[in-house]
Amino acid sequence: MMETDKQTVLVIPCSGIGKVHGLISREATYLVTDELAPGQTQTQCLALLVKGDADAVTAVQSHPCITIDGCPKACAQKNVEIAGGTLVKSVRVVDAFKTHRGAEPGSASGLTNDGWTIAREIAEAVTAEVISRIADREVAP
Amino acid sequence: MTRAILSCTGLDKSLGSLAREVAIRSAEVLGCELVCPVLLHSAPARYEIILANGDLIVIDGCPTRCATKLANQVGAKIDRKVLVTDAVKASGLALEPSLSLGPQGMQLAQRLVDALVRDITAGIGTPEDLASLKAPDDYLIVMQDKYQFRIPAREYAFTENDTWVRIVGERAFVGVSDYIQQKMTDITYVAPPASDDAVEQFGELGTIESAKAVLEIIAPVSGTVVEVNTTLIDHPELLNDDPYGAGWIAVLALTDYTADRELLLDGAAYAAIVQRKAAAEAG
Repeated sequence: MMETDKQTVLVIPCSGIGKVHGLISREATYLVTDELAPGQTQTQCLALLVKGDADAVTAVQSHPCITIDGCPKACAQKNVEIAGGTLVKSVRVVDAFKTHRGAEPGSASGLTNDGWTIAREIAEAVTAEVISRIADREVAP
Repeated sequence: MTRAILSCTGLDKSLGSLAREVAIRSAEVLGCELVCPVLLHSAPARYEIILANGDLIVIDGCPTRCATKLANQVGAKIDRKVLVTDAVKASGLALEPSLSLGPQGMQLAQRLVDALVRDITAGIGTPEDLASLKAPDDYLIVMQDKYQFRIPAREYAFTENDTWVRIVGERAFVGVSDYIQQKMTDITYVAPPASDDAVEQFGELGTIESAKAVLEIIAPVSGTVVEVNTTLIDHPELLNDDPYGAGWIAVLALTDYTADRELLLDGAAYAAIVQRKAAAEAG
């Protein structure tokens, strides 16, 4: 089981195998957990969660979770909900493409500049949510 | 037989990142379907046909073996398993702890891919096996006026020069597309390359001729010619009748597919090019 503050936010992407949308969700997650909010966030492997790993289930139940899904199937969101996780925000990569018509994001094995731009936008939106939660906590009585 | 690869998602451990990289690269080289483990769990019907008909390769990152367990949960028959932890130990290479693979990790990934591909293709890919090629079932269709151009949706890669490649193990069938055979009309003469010819990607691989034009066949990949479809010499019409099957032109032993594939197009990208070309000609 991860040793973390209960307020640490878990950022959980979809598995992202085989499609560029999944890779964007994964890279956006790493941008949040490694670069933009490393002290306040961690990630959690979704396959481990769906397999029913007890530590993974406990983790999503005891930490606020933000999911980043590649496609409308929303595997990350659905499986966090099924596991009884505390979902505070869910993001879909496909929605980000609506403001990037004609973008060529790359492939399942690598992102282009367009792909990285979208990944960073998503990461910044997720980070803003994390910071907002921290601010709310600090002003709470 | 369809082959599929189910891999660890590789999210929060470097071994998982390596497993995922090996899976993606192997799927590209072998022309396999990639099976997402979470989607397999959440929507198993999505993969029902693939798993019922095919050989499943499972690649796990660590001894937790999530991918294997998820395959077992849906009753998938596993043909081959790879545990990356063991492979790393056997390699003697140290994997960087970061989740993004560094040069050492990439080197190791390629080594594991090469080993897996060698293992999978052992005993297949002989000229006898390669003497025939079944045309695909699944096509993208490009329409322009009264014309329809078929482009295989999967397993084939293309060049802008209207040639295709289909990888079988470490060898490659090459040929010309439906679009170019229709454009040339009835093909009357084929001058295939010679056996043992070495060709570089985008080099010449023989010619085909019709009443309208002589076309230089552009090699989609680098390699050595190991088999020539000599049937085309007496029956060039096979290129018109079955360009993605019996109309294959040559088989190459690949020399650098990892680099070559960077410059190849998938079916959808090639379809967009055909659409542009056809519209320009019509217009």
